[in-house]
Amino acid sequence: MASPYTPPIQALIDEFGKLPGIGPRSAQRIAMHIVKMPREDINRLAHALTDAKDRVRYCDMCFNLSESEKCSICSDDRRDSSILCAVEDSRDVVAIERTGEFRGRYHVLQGVLDPLQGIGPEQLKIKEMFRRLAPEGITEVIVCTNPNTEGEVTALYIARLLEPLGVKATRIASGLPVGGDLEYADEITLGRALGNRRTIEI
Amino acid sequence: MLIYRIELTDFRVYKHAVIEIEPGVTAVVGRNAQGKTSLAEAMSYLATLESFRGVPNDALVRLGADTAYVRANIRHDDGREVLVEAEINRSGRNRVQVNKQRLARIRDLLGVVRTTVFAPSDLQLVYEGPTQRRQLLDDALVALSTNNDALRLEVDRIVRQRNVLLKQSAGRMNAEISNTLDVWDEKFVEVGTRLGEARARLVAQVTPYVCEAYEVLAGEPTRVDLIYEPEWRTVGLGAALVAARNDDIRRGITTVGPHRDDLVLGINGMPARSHASQGECRTLTLAIRLGIHRLITHHVGAAPLLVLDDVLSELDPSRSTALLRHLPAGQVIITTASALPEAAHPDAMITIEDGEVVASVKIAK
Repeated sequence: MASPYTPPIQALIDEFGKLPGIGPRSAQRIAMHIVKMPREDINRLAHALTDAKDRVRYCDMCFNLSESEKCSICSDDRRDSSILCAVEDSRDVVAIERTGEFRGRYHVLQGVLDPLQGIGPEQLKIKEMFRRLAPEGITEVIVCTNPNTEGEVTALYIARLLEPLGVKATRIASGLPVGGDLEYADEITLGRALGNRRTIEI
Repeated sequence: MLIYRIELTDFRVYKHAVIEIEPGVTAVVGRNAQGKTSLAEAMSYLATLESFRGVPNDALVRLGADTAYVRANIRHDDGREVLVEAEINRSGRNRVQVNKQRLARIRDLLGVVRTTVFAPSDLQLVYEGPTQRRQLLDDALVALSTNNDALRLEVDRIVRQRNVLLKQSAGRMNAEISNTLDVWDEKFVEVGTRLGEARARLVAQVTPYVCEAYEVLAGEPTRVDLIYEPEWRTVGLGAALVAARNDDIRRGITTVGPHRDDLVLGINGMPARSHASQGECRTLTLAIRLGIHRLITHHVGAAPLLVLDDVLSELDPSRSTALLRHLPAGQVIITTASALPEAAHPDAMITIEDGEVVASVKIAK
């Protein structure tokens, strides 16, 4: 069947459709919107796209997205260099930074162990992380991968490698959302929160 | 729990039908291929999100339609009303709403509706491979506690991941693969051991109920054994995986663990599969279903809906009479293509023809 769109629009829809979280309907809507946008807005958008691609790279230290060889967190010497937070993805750095609770540095693993997706330790930035330990004087690694099977296995893998080095491996806790209601928590989260209960400090 | 109304749209043979169901025993009669099993299937779908015949979801959608809908009104014993609406798509994701609230994950429906289905195909429990018997145990575990669903899915996932890893090793072991395998094993041991314990506990709990049900059906005391004794449980999954590692690597699959367990069924001290008659096997599978049904009733405090799909004709008259005389409390649906035996005293009778309800009568007692 021939495409009902003129070829340039079809090409645009196809491109948007490749993006994460954008289905065929959204792709169509965005493409239609774009052809109606004023010229200068289009130029700005096109420039933002190419500019981001040209100027963003991975930090040589932590593999977070960065504008320079060393990202702003790695080059900030007010940060506590003895504690490292290992995360799956750059988005997780943003999430943890928003808490304002963590003053150490990060390491972005760029994924988790997932044989089904063909991802083993070699595909992750694990070796790079271990290379940082001694020079930076890291004494604790908090493994902040997602609390699912692959995330847990990756945490175990890292913990096993850290153990002989005398570096403390910790795992981010999982439990109830703050301000939430017990009754709305799913059984697994609630069960784990019960299992990981702690003494109330007075 | 009571399903008092079920509406089927484009579900198997049903174009559109609304079926009101009484509490107590309802007989669903009709010739073959008119929609009796489809009705049973719709009810069990709400409980397990799968066909009890083990067919893929798209086989539940009527030929020529893209989406099937099952809408059921449920009343719990405490008076709580629940409207469950399931949308089954030939392609793409299925959706479920409970009381008009869309569930984020359709598996959240598990535990809302519980059904026990007994069908002629249950004979496979005795004669076919262990997959069906594992599924029997795991379905019962999920009905007892929905947490068990996550447990069994996680075991499946770890085994799949581990198998891919083993295949990637291409029969050769190096430090890298060995280290990665170690962590998958550690996780597998944790989760697999829990599943093994849950299955063992279930078998221990359900066995007296099964023996009782068998005795009632057969009319005489009979020794019935459900034996769940996987070898890995005696040495521990960790040790079993270590012992099997070379073999696993060579063959590229996980050769030990709960995903390969079997439940051995025995009658009179002999394996049912090789020593029991077909009649005995049928009685055994029915006794197992009834035993699980009673255990769940006891444990959850409410009887699941019991569906006996076309089984009366499969039993000899004395056993079918015994079954009908000792039906468990709660809502029961009996489908049959032949005349109802005398011992059946249904509270209501529904006649189905060509995917439509042609008659529905309440029977005064």
